[in-house]
Amino acid sequence: MSQNQLNRQSSISEEDLARLSKEAEQEATPSSLRIVWNEFKADRPALFALVIMVIFILFVMIASLFINQGQAMATNIMDSYDKPFTQFFLGTDQGGRSIAKQLILGSRNSIGIAIGLTIISSTFGICYGLIAGYFGGIVDNVMMRIYDFMLMLPITLFIIVLVTIIPNYNVVTLTLILSSFYWMGTSRLIRARTLSESKKDYVAASKTSGTSTFKIIFREIMPNISSLIIVDTMLSFAENIGVETGLSYLGFGLPTNTPSLGTMIANANDPSSITEYWWTWLLAAVEIIILTLSISYIGQVIRRATDASQRLGDD
Amino acid sequence: MWKTVLRRVLIMIPEIIILSILVFLLAKAMPGDPFTGSIGPHTSAAQIHHLKEAAGLYNPWYEQYWNWVVHLFHGNLGTSFQYQEPVTRIIGNRAINTLWLAVFAMVLTYAIGIPMGLYAGRNQNKIGDTIIRVYTFVTMSIPFFVILVLGLWIFGYVLGWFPTTGSVSATANSGMATTLSRLQHIVLPGLLAALFGTVNIVQYLRSEVIDAKGSDYVRTARSKGVPTGDVFRHHILRNSLLPIAAFAGYSITGLLGGSLYTEMVFSYPGMGLLFLNSISYRDYTVITALVLLYGILNLFGTLLSDIILSAVDPRVRIQ
Amino acid sequence: MSLIEVKDLEVHYPIRSGFWNRVTDEVLAVDGISLNIEAGETYGLVGESGSGKSTTGKSIVGLEKPTKGQIIYKGKDITKPSNRRELDYNQDVQMIFQDSLSSLNPRKRIEDIIAEPIRNFEHLDKNQEKLRVLQLLDIVGLDADALYKYPHQFSGGQRQRIGVARAVATNPKLIVADEPVSALDLSVQAQVLNFMKRIQRDFGISYLFISHDLGVVRHMCDNIAIMHRGRLVEIGTRDDIYNHPMHIYTKRLLSAIPETSVEGRAEARAHREAVEQEFQENQSRYYDKDGKVLPLVDVSATHKVALPEDEIEEEDK
Repeated sequence: MSQNQLNRQSSISEEDLARLSKEAEQEATPSSLRIVWNEFKADRPALFALVIMVIFILFVMIASLFINQGQAMATNIMDSYDKPFTQFFLGTDQGGRSIAKQLILGSRNSIGIAIGLTIISSTFGICYGLIAGYFGGIVDNVMMRIYDFMLMLPITLFIIVLVTIIPNYNVVTLTLILSSFYWMGTSRLIRARTLSESKKDYVAASKTSGTSTFKIIFREIMPNISSLIIVDTMLSFAENIGVETGLSYLGFGLPTNTPSLGTMIANANDPSSITEYWWTWLLAAVEIIILTLSISYIGQVIRRATDASQRLGDD
Repeated sequence: MWKTVLRRVLIMIPEIIILSILVFLLAKAMPGDPFTGSIGPHTSAAQIHHLKEAAGLYNPWYEQYWNWVVHLFHGNLGTSFQYQEPVTRIIGNRAINTLWLAVFAMVLTYAIGIPMGLYAGRNQNKIGDTIIRVYTFVTMSIPFFVILVLGLWIFGYVLGWFPTTGSVSATANSGMATTLSRLQHIVLPGLLAALFGTVNIVQYLRSEVIDAKGSDYVRTARSKGVPTGDVFRHHILRNSLLPIAAFAGYSITGLLGGSLYTEMVFSYPGMGLLFLNSISYRDYTVITALVLLYGILNLFGTLLSDIILSAVDPRVRIQ
Repeated sequence: MSLIEVKDLEVHYPIRSGFWNRVTDEVLAVDGISLNIEAGETYGLVGESGSGKSTTGKSIVGLEKPTKGQIIYKGKDITKPSNRRELDYNQDVQMIFQDSLSSLNPRKRIEDIIAEPIRNFEHLDKNQEKLRVLQLLDIVGLDADALYKYPHQFSGGQRQRIGVARAVATNPKLIVADEPVSALDLSVQAQVLNFMKRIQRDFGISYLFISHDLGVVRHMCDNIAIMHRGRLVEIGTRDDIYNHPMHIYTKRLLSAIPETSVEGRAEARAHREAVEQEFQENQSRYYDKDGKVLPLVDVSATHKVALPEDEIEEEDK
């Protein structure tokens, strides 16, 4: 539309622009981040869980920088099974290695892998669900067949076999192997919501406005399912902590010289350690419990915040 | 209905084929070959080459795959080099143990889950419901193996209520004593697996009951003067039970997946522990057979659930 | 030459069923319709729900893929996506949706919603773009403070104005309005219709006005097509349709316009029942043995009706 023509129809001219935009900004609506924050402020336990999680992760990440992994994992038979609060703050394991240092390094490794796994598998799952749900039809059919098939694989067994046969096995390959088997839950959720979202008229309006398919999927539809994505990612994160530690517990996660919370819990496999030397495994177990409970609780609170009918934080 | 079942079974055929190809390729990728155990240190390279050639290991992979499938159909899964016994016999013994545990856990899952879910739904937001919701939240959030280890520690070691390892006590010799001893050994792992498995049932039933309480057909029944208890038994429960039954198939796959952990923690001699041991001994014939077996059991589990669901819900049938 | 020509448009949906999930039947949503829309006019497309009028509209803006037929714009068949891209077709042909809430992305601010087509088709700098959006808001009668608000903060009528502002943002030649006011209150309907008319006058836009409500269509349209079961039963000027309806379906639709005066109520009802009876009795003559609408026949220069052969002979005499 030519500018002149518009000027004739509208009483607004270029001089008014700055004043009007400023007025409009004052009337703007609070963002959804603000709503989530209000929800946390209204729910004390949730705030507590959030603080625990943030402080804990920060502490572990920073403290691990000051610990030399080689030294911490070196065996020293003289200090075998020291009790807590004697020579070592939290005691030692059979090899005389400090439990406190192993906890810090193990948490860093386990949380790090869980974060990596969550980022890779969720990103893949979200894209998979968005594409299947948006295009529908034959694309969706084929993608859902693959999904069904993946769901039926004995995942843990496959992962263990892959872990044992892969040539250069390290943290990165482990994360990639895990990611390729843990995207299905996310993709199903996202697909279902995308399917109903794509039928709405705003998608049609974007098509007639000349917006590209890529932009429609990721800039129009995705923001509308962002709350689902955030909640699901939070819950996957809690679940993924269990994935790596569980595998390490069985002995197929991180290599033996790399500490993991799961490997520490595996100390409980020895009938004498489980009762007599409880500090070698129980602390790691308690840590996992606190961590996973906090993270899923935060996920629940965010879910509540995004559902207007359940909010506590509204004034 | 029968059409749906038949179609569902037909869809399974390509899935089984792809699964078997994947398993075969995994087996090929494993280091070593079927002779790893039988070749002595003095066998010459030429002899090994000759043996391999005779076994068809230099043929193209699809020919080898075909041979493998033909052997499968004759019930020949090879010989375990660790035990020097046919794989079918080794797995057969362990499979019974795993089955025992799975059936027991499943029965407990339903026995605990259904009353809990109904109670929580009927008494929504009361203290009992809140406790049940905390319970489902906690069991859902904590990794399964941590629950198992803690359960073993508290009930097995600290309180000493249950045996901590194995599937049957060595001292039990009469038939009756053996059965009792077996039962004793599966109570704790079965119970812990069931606690973990109830979450879905409890959450589903609870929301189902809450939805039904506000629905028109329940209000009509009540306004006609049907007692509350009858409304629950005849209307709400009946509507929810079949979908709950459909969980059975999925919970089979869940229990199988969990069996690795359950059997590891309780040193219970089932298929899961056999798999883990075979991995450490690189007993590839056993590993391959187990992966295939787990995959096929999973397939049948989901098949079972899908069939029950399609019988219950006509909407599933149309798709 | 017409602005846009629809030629023998067909949109069929397959029905899959049976054991192999094969295509066993088809829904004939649009089953061969042709119409021409002239520059600057309002063309009414009227029919009951399920008659295929919305599908026709969606095909014209390029949201629906026709099974057969052509839609000619500037000499090109725009049912082909490549031709639509080449022409920047949607810069010229826009759409207003029935459900104003669902047609505005709830996560976007009004500024971004209205600017979306401008950003895609014209490349303005930030200030020019904002000025354009403010002017568009002004044209549809909304204040500047709407700029940073979200769709749910507006009433249904206001939202529909935003939808109109977005549709006119690129100065289109044709706007397909799919039941633009049927979700609104009667008082708001008139407001929205009036400024749609004003915008048409000021910018010289054509409308394809899709509606089930002949009362509203009379207020808006120059030419009208009546659609039933995927085909056109009657095309004509406003005068042809309202004063000389010839097809029994058109008569039936006209008799269904609500009578507002109390005195005429009994009379209107008697008329409606008489028309309904005529429809029931003559239905088999006006539709072929599969229940499909008959081919259109020219009655006058402007008027086409799907008449049975005996009626045509009668006309000729």
